[in-house]
Amino acid sequence: MTIDRRIIYAILLAVVTLPLVFPSVLEVTPMTPVEKLFTAVDKTTDDKALILDCSYSPQIKAEVEPMAIAVLRHAFQTRKKILVLSLYVEMIGLATRAINQVVEEFNISAQTYEDSIIYGRDYVFLGWQPPPIVPMLGMGESIANIYVVDYYGNQTDTLHMMEKIRNYNDISILVALSGSRIPISWVAYAQNRYGLQVGVGCTAVSGADFYPYYQTGQFTGLMVGMKGAAEYEELVETNYGVKGRRVASEAMLSLTYAHLAIMLFIVIGNIGFFLHRRKK
Amino acid sequence: MILVLLCSLAGLAPPTDVRVYDAPSDGGGVVVVEWNLSPDDAVIDGYDIYRSENGVDFARVGFIGKSRSSYSDQTEDGVVFQYKVAAVADTLRSFSQPSVEVASKASWINIDKINIYIAMIIFGGLILYFISHARKGKNLYIRKIAGLQAIDDAIGRATEMGKPILYTLGLGYIEDIATIASLNILGEVAKKAAQYDTKLIVPNADPIVYTVAREIVKESYTKAGRPDAYDPDSVFFLAREQMAYAAGIDGIMTREKPATNFLIGYFAAESLVLAETGAATGAIQIAGTDALAQLPFFVTACDYTLIGEELYAASAYISKRPLLLGAIKGEDWAKVVIVAALILASIVGLLSRFPILNLFE
Amino acid sequence: MKKMIPLTLIFIAGLLGVISFVIPHPSYQVYDEWIRNDLLRVLSAFAVVLALGSLLRVHFDKIKRKRRNWQFSWLLLFAFAASAAIGLFGGVAADGILPTAIGSFRFDIQTLYENIVIPLASSMFALLAFFMASAAYRAFRVRSMEATLLLTAAFIVMIGLLPLGYSISKHLPEFVQWILNVPNVAGQRGIVFGIALGVIATSLKIILGIERAWLGGGE
Repeated sequence: MTIDRRIIYAILLAVVTLPLVFPSVLEVTPMTPVEKLFTAVDKTTDDKALILDCSYSPQIKAEVEPMAIAVLRHAFQTRKKILVLSLYVEMIGLATRAINQVVEEFNISAQTYEDSIIYGRDYVFLGWQPPPIVPMLGMGESIANIYVVDYYGNQTDTLHMMEKIRNYNDISILVALSGSRIPISWVAYAQNRYGLQVGVGCTAVSGADFYPYYQTGQFTGLMVGMKGAAEYEELVETNYGVKGRRVASEAMLSLTYAHLAIMLFIVIGNIGFFLHRRKK
Repeated sequence: MILVLLCSLAGLAPPTDVRVYDAPSDGGGVVVVEWNLSPDDAVIDGYDIYRSENGVDFARVGFIGKSRSSYSDQTEDGVVFQYKVAAVADTLRSFSQPSVEVASKASWINIDKINIYIAMIIFGGLILYFISHARKGKNLYIRKIAGLQAIDDAIGRATEMGKPILYTLGLGYIEDIATIASLNILGEVAKKAAQYDTKLIVPNADPIVYTVAREIVKESYTKAGRPDAYDPDSVFFLAREQMAYAAGIDGIMTREKPATNFLIGYFAAESLVLAETGAATGAIQIAGTDALAQLPFFVTACDYTLIGEELYAASAYISKRPLLLGAIKGEDWAKVVIVAALILASIVGLLSRFPILNLFE
Repeated sequence: MKKMIPLTLIFIAGLLGVISFVIPHPSYQVYDEWIRNDLLRVLSAFAVVLALGSLLRVHFDKIKRKRRNWQFSWLLLFAFAASAAIGLFGGVAADGILPTAIGSFRFDIQTLYENIVIPLASSMFALLAFFMASAAYRAFRVRSMEATLLLTAAFIVMIGLLPLGYSISKHLPEFVQWILNVPNVAGQRGIVFGIALGVIATSLKIILGIERAWLGGGE
């Protein structure tokens, strides 16, 4: 029994796109690694900030950008100060996209100045400082010395938020979003030397590499793939009622159907294989 | 805040027993400062590190978070310093006693890597021993590697069908061992292609790899006695960007419909895009990579897959030169040493868990 | 003699690399850094020129001889020239030698990257889903006991990682984590050991001049 591969592609196209054409949010049950990350971000006190490292490339944007958006929503809704940076120049554009989207979401519905998300007060975009090891080590001493000016050209130490946020001692957690081994470098440099908490958001393919670090406690929490992003979105909405578009959660139905479709193809293929063998 | 206030009233306890030494096995310019934590470590912000040349005027050189008891200071070689460490709580400082004098200097040998040197000697020695053993004319057995055995048949298939051979070296740079191993196989494939007058297409992702591949193919055609048949445009640079390279090769596969595809080298996510497109065109595919994450895709989509070190063994397998076979033998014995060490370590680890047998604790 | 020079160079370069690993003293490291940072960059730059020359020559030749699909070569040459011009005059992010903005639209490499490279790269990546489906259908056959075990584990992992998995059983995701952390890692480590030894052996063979195929297949 041979199915033309074009039929396979057509079926897969249908099961992936139809749930997206009629989007519905599939409820996901947050697992422990994501809950731990959420709790760690949640515990950020008023005198501290969190750092979001947006070091994901365009290829993996679909999986990892929802994580960035969910964390930003979490931070803005709970008024936690947040610093955003990228370790490579080609990822700056993607970080800017995520920030601009979430800031616009909040400011459209804001009634007063206090409700609004204000640059310099609620968040700072540090930009990019090569090579990656320089900010990883240097921010332990002084963030303003490494990022003398922020991405927009402002003197970092003149920004309101940076009056109290000097170095890792004033940072509650760093969330590293990446498809490569960058989070392990954060552990090696920032955590080993300065005791910084590190949480990770990564692609499903690279997730397997990071579980050993999560088990040892070197990663405080872990979001793996689209499902990890959907779990974080679920926690943000359930706990704080943030009503933004949940891209990862909308994709869960597509993901589920695509997995089931592939399993069905495998079963059909094997049925055909057995029938063919019996005929012989 | 209240705790800090209480500490300020009671007096913040300083860190004690500051020890300083030149960082060992480095290029100089680093002094390591260690101390015992302040008893008030739980409530402080961290520790300031101070340094002096004359023992009187101390200047602050760094800061480290609380619960940390070591700091590496960048210094000038040969200059003598003394250090003090201060527990920091807001504006409060509580200083330790000054340390002894220390000066940094560069080391000539990196002693920290002694375990690597021992491993280099053992493994390198094994490999060299078997290479010299092979020089004496000993017949060395190497097991069949299906992927390498199929090269001749795959090239023959292309010749009979009158279709080209596509050889892809992957995204790797020239310093990647997988790329070098692939270049070795390319030489052999090019020689056979020259002998059978089969068209060869070799698209490249890296400029340096492209120049080397071009020379190898040209040399192979010359060795096969067919320098006239060499087409300089058969080896070309395609694209550096991962997906652009994959799209280009997919286009070549779809248009030229090669009978045989060699996907040998370092690949990333584009591996399945290439392999599956090749399978759709009906080509026989031989793949080889040391990128673990891509092996499942190649095993699924290709007819033969060289896994990891099978790729590195290719040149020995194809040429059957005793020196190269000797190196493979040395690798195998090195694996025996590793497995023996793992078994021994596992036994010791298991035994140490039994409270009766406290011998290994 | 023709082969002696590159073999000697390789031996010296390999030896210098090993020495650099052993000796951290800056009086030696400065030469190692010069080789890595300066010399190799210059070599790479020249190699890029050669590679681009090859690309252009192949396509000019295709156009000249009007080979099959020669029209697409014009497209490549146009894209090549346009990117070069945009980069030269527009710069990376509006920092070129000429002002190249029309309203809020900028003609620079960043614009090209965001509007062309990013969507194209993402689209190619998305194709993986289709290829995975057709590969799975075509190749996953239960031919033996090992294949059966592998397929069963694959099904368990696939379901366990979905929201559906948690609905079936609370313990399924935990079992999946065990599969990923224990048997999977054990198998990977075995291959990694072999690869590491292969790298050592191949490097040693190249440095000592035993492995010469990369020179052009010489004995």
